[in-house]
Amino acid sequence: MEAIGLPGGALVNYIFPNNAHVTWSIMIVIYPYITGLVAGAFVLSSMYHVFGVKEFKPIANFALVAAFSFGLFAAMPLLVHLGQPQRAYQIYTTPHTTSAMSIFGYVYSSYLVLLMIEIWVIYRKVFIEKANETVGNMAIFWKILCLGITTYNPESAHFDKKLAKFLAGIGIPWACLLHGYVGFVFGSVKAVAWWATALQPFIFLSSAIVSGIAMMFLMYSFIMWRRGQGYDYALIKKFIITLWMAFILDYALEVLEIAFVGYEQGAHWAVIKPLLMGPLYNSYVLGQMGILSLGPLLVLGIASLLDIKDKALLYLGNLGSLMLVFQVLVMRFNVVVGGQLISKSERGFVDYEFEFFAKEGLLTAGIIMVAPFVTYYIISRFIPIFEGKSMDTEPKRASM
Amino acid sequence: MENSKMPDSRREFLVRLLEGTATATVLMVFGPGVMAHGPETGGTERADDADHKYAYIIDVGKCIGCGNCVRACKRENSVPTDYFRTWVERYVVREEGVYVDSPKGAIEGFEQLNKRFRDNIKLSRTVPKMCNHCHNPPCVQVCPVGATFKSPEGFVLVDRDYCMACGYCVQACPYAARFINPVEHKSDKCTWCYHRVKKGLLPACVTVCPQKARLFGDLNDIDSEVSKLFEADQWMVLKPEMHTDPTCFYIGLPREVV
Amino acid sequence: MSLPGPKAHIVRLVAVLVGALFAFLVIKEVVTPSSWNYKDWYRGDALALNSSYEAAYGGNQSCVTCHEEVNQELAEFRHQALSCESCHGALADHVKEGEKIGDAVVDDASSWQCLNCHDAQVSKPANFPQFDKEKIEEHQEIEPDMICTACHTPHDPTP
Repeated sequence: MEAIGLPGGALVNYIFPNNAHVTWSIMIVIYPYITGLVAGAFVLSSMYHVFGVKEFKPIANFALVAAFSFGLFAAMPLLVHLGQPQRAYQIYTTPHTTSAMSIFGYVYSSYLVLLMIEIWVIYRKVFIEKANETVGNMAIFWKILCLGITTYNPESAHFDKKLAKFLAGIGIPWACLLHGYVGFVFGSVKAVAWWATALQPFIFLSSAIVSGIAMMFLMYSFIMWRRGQGYDYALIKKFIITLWMAFILDYALEVLEIAFVGYEQGAHWAVIKPLLMGPLYNSYVLGQMGILSLGPLLVLGIASLLDIKDKALLYLGNLGSLMLVFQVLVMRFNVVVGGQLISKSERGFVDYEFEFFAKEGLLTAGIIMVAPFVTYYIISRFIPIFEGKSMDTEPKRASM
Repeated sequence: MENSKMPDSRREFLVRLLEGTATATVLMVFGPGVMAHGPETGGTERADDADHKYAYIIDVGKCIGCGNCVRACKRENSVPTDYFRTWVERYVVREEGVYVDSPKGAIEGFEQLNKRFRDNIKLSRTVPKMCNHCHNPPCVQVCPVGATFKSPEGFVLVDRDYCMACGYCVQACPYAARFINPVEHKSDKCTWCYHRVKKGLLPACVTVCPQKARLFGDLNDIDSEVSKLFEADQWMVLKPEMHTDPTCFYIGLPREVV
Repeated sequence: MSLPGPKAHIVRLVAVLVGALFAFLVIKEVVTPSSWNYKDWYRGDALALNSSYEAAYGGNQSCVTCHEEVNQELAEFRHQALSCESCHGALADHVKEGEKIGDAVVDDASSWQCLNCHDAQVSKPANFPQFDKEKIEEHQEIEPDMICTACHTPHDPTP
């Protein structure tokens, strides 16, 4: 092997013997990805619940249930990744507070509880209806879900709505904490040059919001298409503008990071430049920063700024969202796996190959990625998520 | 050293032996006298383990790259193939750059260098690597459950019965001294042969090194070899910019070594 | 039938949450290892675990308890400073519980153990005795399968 493109004046590619295996692979790629979808979907749902953006009203509950569906599986890749998954409970019993990872158990669980309570408060009326309509085991299930209170007090509606708003309100910083902290887990590792930047939490957070909004757009389009219910183009336009602006912020941070490291010409750049020009050229330069970023910027920009209507708007939105969903996935890959491709010998790059059938292979990743959608489908069989345009927590339907 | 001065830990160990619960064959066969004598003991003995200030010194100029240390470590600690608690690197500094290799961690030593790299060299050394047992270990900092820790004697150890193998410590170590053991699915690393040192032996790699390029001892014992070398103040540590404050010191470390 | 109070469900929810929190704290207390070191954050029993592994290498002191005669000779040998086990293998492969379980003889079919140290390489210290390939091949011209120990005593090799 020739010395071209190797750091540290290396004449041959030299990696430390223990670096030959990439310890964090696809599972740790999809872990922040799913966590990001949770955070992004939640922020979208809060657009209506907290900030009262009326256009988002039809999807506020949908985004919340979707966030919950993704949330249920956010920790799954971690469990699959662990060599000793039966010991995972230790992160709750003896969390080592000096570790950026140790609070994950608490932040994640409390966030899931918060999501559950918010959904519960919003859907309590539905649960009560179901408890009174059904018989047998299902009635017991719904009664338990109502915590035994099977009559709806109209006075509760006002209080519930305020509580939902409050939960959505504290949910935003919580979602930011959940995902910003995932960025911190990587950004605080000084031994991995490609991770170690204080911008990492912000990049993770902003890309999380982008991926969440984009995924909600795709799901919304798909569900509306399946239901043949007709599209709410005012919502779609708002969706596209929000997504476009979120991505501009995200892309600016991603560019800022690389521009800063590059301009600084420091120790990190000495290994990052050959990484980006070598092993990560396709997935980072061409993929993440190139096609998958410039494409959506252009497509969503056109859709946002020009007077585009109806189906054309829908198609542009879907095209941009699809690219962004992959942009963020590729970004997670470039960060998580890319960082480990730089051997700590600082004189060579690790060769990474995708596995398919392995425990942490692509098949497992695919199953975990599909699971939230299946979960969403199951939940949607039981509770109304889109019910025309009137499904919300307005007290007008409260009397039964 | 007299047997009466044995540290508590060893006394406990012998008591356990007498009770028939221990299986350490070495002591069974040869008795404690052998262990407590001669150059094989790791520095002075004190009652309190925290009074020790253990250090590991690697004299790069003496290393011949034979790989005895790597083989002994593999055998002593049952280290799986392709993973290393210690390994040896060969550096060849040339006008146009640096050639580095470590074939199979140098478990079979080194083959003669390719002629292309052999002529017109500026410097060439073999450099043993291992866990640096940092004072400020990033691996301990990042372990989310407290499964890796610094022992009272300063050894950075892994609790095999507690590690959940998340791999964060592997990422955090700047020296690539850690790995997830592919057989046990737990984090693994050099322990400075804690189990040997507690029995009064030296780490296996130090025991077999034919050149005394690897030294282990107590800096609190002013007569120990490590103390004298340390006092000469010509040592270096790996990646000082990481501020891990290693207790593994190198003498004659070429600046090209990472 | 009177309606439940407007906040009755919240009271129950809080009760459920408090109950869950209490259960969690109890479980946490129960499953945390009793030897936990709260100051330095590790399982105290881990120290005993880490020191419990058997030592495979005994050091030269372990060898001389049986092979006293070699020890007497060794004082004069050029290879006296070497570890017996680096060529002869680990004690644990030779003796177990006072019984010999395997031979500790050196493979005499090849010279790899000699060359492992003494093969000439640019990375070795200049004052270390080394033999380059040509010199070894010169020897082998005399007899092709010749090994170092045919002429040199491994314990006390003279040039």
